[in-house]
Amino acid sequence: MITERVTYEQLLGISGCVALALLAHITTLPLWVPAIVVACGLIRLALARGGRGAPSGSVLVTVAVLVVPLLLVRFHTFNGLVAGTALLSVTAGLKLLETRTRRDIYIITLIIYFVSLAALLEGDSFWLLAYLIGVCWLTTATLLRLTSSGPAPDWRRSLRYGGRVLAQAMPLALVFWLLFPRFAGPLWHIPNDSQTAASGLSDTMSPGDITQLALSDEVAFRVRFEAATPPNSERYWRGPVLDVFDGHTWSRSQASQAGAPTLTPLGPGYQYTVMMEPHRHRWIFMLDWPNSWNLPRSGLTGDYTLMQSEPLSRPVDVVGTSYTHVQSTEPLNSRTRIREVKLPGDRNPRTKALALQLRSTHADAMEFVQAVLAMFAQQPFFYTLTPPKLSDDSVDEFLFNTKRGFCGHYASAFAALARAAGIPARVVTGYQGGTLNPYGGYWILRQSDAHAWTEVWIEGRGWVRIDPTAAIAPERVERGLADVASADESPASAWQRRAHWFSGLQLRFDAVKEMWRERILDFDQDSQRKLLQFLKIPDPDGQKLVMLLAIAMSLVLGWLTWQVRRELAPRSKDETARAYARLCAKLATAGIARVPHEGPEAYALRVARLRPDLAGIATSLCRQYSFLRYSAPSASVTLGQFQAAVRAFRPKATRL
Amino acid sequence: LVSLRQAAVNQLRARVIRRHGRDSLPISINRRRIYILPTRFGYMLGAILAAMLIAGLNYNSNLALAFAFLMASMALVTMHHCNRNMLRLSVDVTTEVDAFAGREALLEFELRNGSRVDRRDIEVRCMSAVGMNSVAAGESATIEVIAPVAQRGVTRVTQFELRTRYPFGWFYSWTYVQGSIAVYVAPAPLGNRALPSGSAQGTGSHSEARGDEDFSGLRAYQPGMPLKHMAWKVLARGGEPVVRSYSSLAAQPEWLDWSMLEGLDTEARLSQLCLWVLESDAAQRPYGLRVPGKELAPSGGAAHRFACLRALAAFGVGEA
Repeated sequence: MITERVTYEQLLGISGCVALALLAHITTLPLWVPAIVVACGLIRLALARGGRGAPSGSVLVTVAVLVVPLLLVRFHTFNGLVAGTALLSVTAGLKLLETRTRRDIYIITLIIYFVSLAALLEGDSFWLLAYLIGVCWLTTATLLRLTSSGPAPDWRRSLRYGGRVLAQAMPLALVFWLLFPRFAGPLWHIPNDSQTAASGLSDTMSPGDITQLALSDEVAFRVRFEAATPPNSERYWRGPVLDVFDGHTWSRSQASQAGAPTLTPLGPGYQYTVMMEPHRHRWIFMLDWPNSWNLPRSGLTGDYTLMQSEPLSRPVDVVGTSYTHVQSTEPLNSRTRIREVKLPGDRNPRTKALALQLRSTHADAMEFVQAVLAMFAQQPFFYTLTPPKLSDDSVDEFLFNTKRGFCGHYASAFAALARAAGIPARVVTGYQGGTLNPYGGYWILRQSDAHAWTEVWIEGRGWVRIDPTAAIAPERVERGLADVASADESPASAWQRRAHWFSGLQLRFDAVKEMWRERILDFDQDSQRKLLQFLKIPDPDGQKLVMLLAIAMSLVLGWLTWQVRRELAPRSKDETARAYARLCAKLATAGIARVPHEGPEAYALRVARLRPDLAGIATSLCRQYSFLRYSAPSASVTLGQFQAAVRAFRPKATRL
Repeated sequence: LVSLRQAAVNQLRARVIRRHGRDSLPISINRRRIYILPTRFGYMLGAILAAMLIAGLNYNSNLALAFAFLMASMALVTMHHCNRNMLRLSVDVTTEVDAFAGREALLEFELRNGSRVDRRDIEVRCMSAVGMNSVAAGESATIEVIAPVAQRGVTRVTQFELRTRYPFGWFYSWTYVQGSIAVYVAPAPLGNRALPSGSAQGTGSHSEARGDEDFSGLRAYQPGMPLKHMAWKVLARGGEPVVRSYSSLAAQPEWLDWSMLEGLDTEARLSQLCLWVLESDAAQRPYGLRVPGKELAPSGGAAHRFACLRALAAFGVGEA
């Protein structure tokens, strides 16, 4: 049976399933891999259509010898997820090409199942899961059509049967999923071969860099505050701190890992959870200034940025506390001071001259800062998403010629001025503000919320945050980018304006997405413990979890057995007859079974004779049945009454 | 490994006989006698499921785990469905089967499905042959097993197997039924001796055309007699089923005798006798059979033919 030859139709079905499974990988696999598989399928189908069998073994060996080295050249290994998937896909293609019997198709279905799973190791959306369950459903239905003797059942019936098996499997799968013990970390090292590039802020900043981010609607991270939410003007999310300036580009120094001066909180602390999207950098955006966090293998750098030991390749949640007002009375150590005032000697001469001139009239550092900010506010500095391009002496050109820029330009110029005046200063990049999602009760920080600001060292106060962009366009800080940009001529802002009505829907959607992430994607040991607590199980631990799994599984399996066998009983649709059958069954357990030829009247008589104590009720019930069965519908007795009476009837067993 | 498996199967079959004894057919298959194991493909699926689980745990991907668990649950559900495909199926069998040596015996198994679900792809394995059919909900179906038989004699089947791989071929469930089937394997009809008629009537094939003309009375109907000779009017009046008999049918009975075949060995004699029985039957001539220890009085019709063939099959086997 298993060695039966395949038909054109069966081949078509299985080829379709392979194609659908590969579709889930279309973004990660190099395009030629699915192309080869599809070509294999089409060739085999064409052969089958022409009534010919599979090509000979030598053809297959040739194809394999050509394709496998190609894979090796592309991936260098078969160990990674993408490389493994590519190899499996090609195997499925080759298998499709050589398919002769049903056994070959069985093997292909197994590959389809595994390739589907591989897609879920990368993707994490609900739709992907739903799609792949659909693929699995279709594949299984194909299997059903293979194993049948005689004519195969049609697609509709196969799908219905497959769907029923799938539906019956759901409760069991849910129990497994909820209660199967999770491990804290991976069992072994996962080769990180993902092709995805790092996104969001980088650890360098040239003028105009953040402008590209400003147009992106992509979510960088989400935040949920436990109790109080800091005001908008204090919601600065700290990212990489840039302290090396070459006259054009700011970058992060490698030496800045030394211990940071301790911070003394001045105001209230805020507790919150940052739900990071994987951006493939090491830093985590914490509210300025981070105080505590619960992320393993991570720590604060000397400039108060939370860093993980490895780039973020999957979503993480970090619970942290921060104080928005701090001070540090420690003096700045000399090495840091030297680093934080360094400027390239031959660049931006006009800026240096301006700084020295301002410093001569404002001896106090804070006064100097105010003077620069006043300059930004009073002179015709513009805030724009489409600033003109700047040359190597970018700060000179910006301050004295173009005077048009984005937050990056202002932060860069401000920090350069401060350094030129001998005040330690640095650029901080991160995010600012955020949008509250009222449907989910959390804040969304998008790439368009990316921001750059500065910090200057004031003796006795420590690092003080100065946001020079606020001096030019206060709305930028108070309300966010979308509104500022609408005053400009950029096409993106026009789109954003038009799409305003859309944002309510978008927020709702985002809330659902966030819930999916929190409840499903991030389900872990901790969630299982909470589940056990919810079920009022004392001292929840792994052992109890396994016990609960065993109990729940046997319950579901019992239900399943009943569910599956229920369909075997020849069930009569006749409610009256069923109620009567129940009555007879009850009387039979009481010792008087109805003989097949006995009518209700005769049966009642016999019951009355053998069990006088039951005479009244049995006669009455049998008469009711006769009425329902044989006379015209009347009000004297209804089916519901009869059913209730039968249900209430509890004869005692024979007393002998 | 194969022999180990075979030994286990044999042991199980013997145990089933010890435990259940002989079944009185028709029998409804209850859950206690259904066994289930994964097929080879099922084991492969198991390996893939294990790999899925490990991948899901290692990548800490809840969606991959959900998919793996769903697949595993589907396998468990399928196990129940495979078991159900056989459950409460009623089996009956034709207890006596006739065949010729060197040809095939047709064993017929009657399956009744009183439930509301279709039972698909039920296999019957008997005498190292396999037959397969499906039984629709509430209906009956016959599964034919065509088993080649080489040797003359009487084969007594005491146990046969019902098996199914439905729905997805991941599992097979099976059961043994202890029903007895007697397979009478008549000798292969061979030989070159002429029919011992000696009379002028010639061979049977011509007689029919001529014989149809000469009506010579009514005879009791026996299964196998041509329906076109049926005396329908007699039957319609409420009489016994009878057939019109023609002169050819009423011809002189002929004895097909073992002793006529001196000089041949036993099997050759039996083969010749078998051929004669068939020739006489085809000629619709009454004939009797005489073999050592057994004598069948001259008669005609299918029942007589079967009786003769069985006598030949059982010759020397000590069976009637």
